Amino acid sequence: MKKITLSAQNLIKRYGGVVALANGNLSISSGEVLALVGANGSGKSTLGKIITGVVQPDGGDLHVDGQPVRLGSPQVARRLGITAVYQELSLIADMSVTENIWLSHEPRRWGLVDTRQMDRHTETLLELFAGTVSPNLQPSTLIGELPPDEKQVVEILKALSWDPRLIILDEATASLDSRQVARLFELVARWQADGRAVIIVSHRMEENYRVAQRATVLRGGEAVADRVLADTPTAELVQLMIPDSAVRVKKTAADDELTQRPVRLAVNHLKTKRLKDISLSIRDGELLGIGGLRGQGQEELLRALFGVVPYEGEVRVSQKDVHFKHPQEAIGHGVALVPGDRGTEGLLLSRSILENLQLPSWAQYGRILNMKSARSDAQAAGRDLRLKMGALSDPVSSLSGGNAQKVVLGKWLLRSPKLLLLNDPTKGVDVGAKGEFYQILDSLRAAGTAVLFYSSDDEELLWLCDRILVMHDGGVSAELHGEHLTHANLVAASMGSVGSMENHV
Amino acid sequence: MNLEIIRRPFNRYFLRHNPYLFALFLLLLSLAINYFLQPNLFDLRVLNGNMRIFLPLMILAAGQSIVVLGGGIDLSVGTVVSLVNAVLITNLARESGPVEVLWAIALGLGIGLLAGAFNGLCVAYLRLQPIVTTYATSFIYSGLALYILPRPGGAIPAELARLYRSTPASIPFTLLMVVLLLLIWKLIRATRFGTFLYALGGDAEASFTTGIRVSRMRLWIYTVSGGFAALSAVALTLSTSTGDPRIGESMTLDSIVAVVLGGTRLSGGYGGIAGSIIGVAILGTIRNIISFANVPTWWQTLVDAVIIVSALAGPGLIKLLRRGS
Repeated sequence: MKKITLSAQNLIKRYGGVVALANGNLSISSGEVLALVGANGSGKSTLGKIITGVVQPDGGDLHVDGQPVRLGSPQVARRLGITAVYQELSLIADMSVTENIWLSHEPRRWGLVDTRQMDRHTETLLELFAGTVSPNLQPSTLIGELPPDEKQVVEILKALSWDPRLIILDEATASLDSRQVARLFELVARWQADGRAVIIVSHRMEENYRVAQRATVLRGGEAVADRVLADTPTAELVQLMIPDSAVRVKKTAADDELTQRPVRLAVNHLKTKRLKDISLSIRDGELLGIGGLRGQGQEELLRALFGVVPYEGEVRVSQKDVHFKHPQEAIGHGVALVPGDRGTEGLLLSRSILENLQLPSWAQYGRILNMKSARSDAQAAGRDLRLKMGALSDPVSSLSGGNAQKVVLGKWLLRSPKLLLLNDPTKGVDVGAKGEFYQILDSLRAAGTAVLFYSSDDEELLWLCDRILVMHDGGVSAELHGEHLTHANLVAASMGSVGSMENHV
Repeated sequence: MNLEIIRRPFNRYFLRHNPYLFALFLLLLSLAINYFLQPNLFDLRVLNGNMRIFLPLMILAAGQSIVVLGGGIDLSVGTVVSLVNAVLITNLARESGPVEVLWAIALGLGIGLLAGAFNGLCVAYLRLQPIVTTYATSFIYSGLALYILPRPGGAIPAELARLYRSTPASIPFTLLMVVLLLLIWKLIRATRFGTFLYALGGDAEASFTTGIRVSRMRLWIYTVSGGFAALSAVALTLSTSTGDPRIGESMTLDSIVAVVLGGTRLSGGYGGIAGSIIGVAILGTIRNIISFANVPTWWQTLVDAVIIVSALAGPGLIKLLRRGS
């Protein structure tokens, strides 16, 4: 195996006004396993995508084997021996395991794809995971028929099929079971001995310590530290991941008064395919935060409570036992969900602001719609939200991200919900609009609305919430409130490292 | 959970993995009805007559399936047929020799490929929506066809028409062409282009991250479609022995209906050319049935449409019933 060294210096990546990576630095060479760690939005995935040529940086240098390179596309990176196991898998459901693994580098004979050789190579690759996957996983099986863990295995083998010098494992273990993880880590050790370089990104802190020797810590898009893991306790690494903002003392005076209020939502032992036994309760006028790294089941929880995802367990809304099977039932009980992806779930982008605001409420304007009162209600809502807009008849697509998000919120406020579920509502929203959004939340809370608030922005959660549930791997890893409501605890619980949390409640 | 796939009865597994199955069933059904109404259906002469009419649309639908499999759609194929038909007929006469014939066909093919490449450039590099782009370019091609051949007419050498109708060893020449078409498809399917086609239609984003040059693939796909349209025009010209600048117009939608009837998924990534060829045969047989069933002329279009809509709805209805049970 030809040796490889890769170093990235001062990489910058902006998406519109949002800086995903401000100062990305990293270096690795053959025979090394490097962990890339950081909190939500610290730029881990972006850095990984730049190294594999999927995303183009706006600035900075990349050197491979000492030579400056420009990785203009995945093919270029591939040619240099760099491949990745992507978090959002790059597999095609209607094609077979073999076709997926060898896609774009099929072995050929006389210009035609040599299927026999391809199947043989696939079998060799599949043997690497033999015993940890079901006998169904054959070269000819269609990807669409595989469960998530086996798809992940195929994605790993696909990266390996390029015989890479550098492999990036971006949350490759998230959907694997423990036997498969153990097998993968045996393989990583073998790759290391072969002289390959491996970069691992994992939300499980324990895994980083298990396979990596060194860790590069990212914080707010900047590489802030490079540590040898054997000499660095978990607590120190977690501390490095936290932005050094001033510690804020939470106003908890309202706590006593709050406990007198009625419980709006009580959840007991809620389970879905992804969620493991979730229990929680919110009182009127309470803002309960849900934290943790992205994709730990937070969205699924909100969607289950809104009747989108089927679930088992006990849910009580306003002291009544309910089991929502359709959002319509949830809406009927005064529940509203502000979705995270406003482009696809929350808004009809090409339709007017008026239509979007009134979409869930048309029923109250009669069979032949009373447009006059609909318009004046919408106008009032727009004022309350401080919506910066031209006319109500303008399409939502004419609004800025922050203002569009206010429309998503506004359309539910017009129905005055009793329980508001927020799914990462400020993602990609500029700072000014965020501030106004927080004020709206405050006034809602003052009006007695119970709010369940998932956010991938840790600081925002710490700033707004009295109580935070931290989710990890589909379960609640910690409930933080009062003096325990610190960033260090939040990050530690996000990583599932309960050991370092003596104040775990 | 995983064992379910093994335990599932063989025929269900087969059903799920054979996109053509429903089309084959429909074809057998329509052939049976057609045979009942027209007992000499399988006579060589009748078979040959039918195949002569079906072949141009079969070739066109084959090209359309390639575009659809790759996640696109080509609404200009019919007008490319008209354009190439016009080019062929203006370059041919009753007394043309073999050299002139080959030259005319090569010219027609070249023009078809160019028209397809133009579509491909717009879709792949200007990132225009395929459905709108190819609808717009179809007016360019039909305008050119009218410019080249303002009114129907023209002729081709009689030997060419005779070749098209010939039945060597009691097998219609046109049927041999269908076999050739399927062999070409099998060959395409065995190349990288074939694999990339399914990958692109299955998931363009994943194809890109896997290292497929998506834009270049799109350019190729539309170019190939233009080439198939030109071949379809050659067959059509041999079949009708004349030129007509509007001859292909109605073929575009028929080609798409045939692709869908043949089990190819309209959003791409699933299906194949064999299904589309079966689809054309179904369409043709349905039209035979209508003309033999003494359906009054003013009902024909309606009956035709109703049958096609129910045939298209078939697989969806089956799925719905299965989910219900």
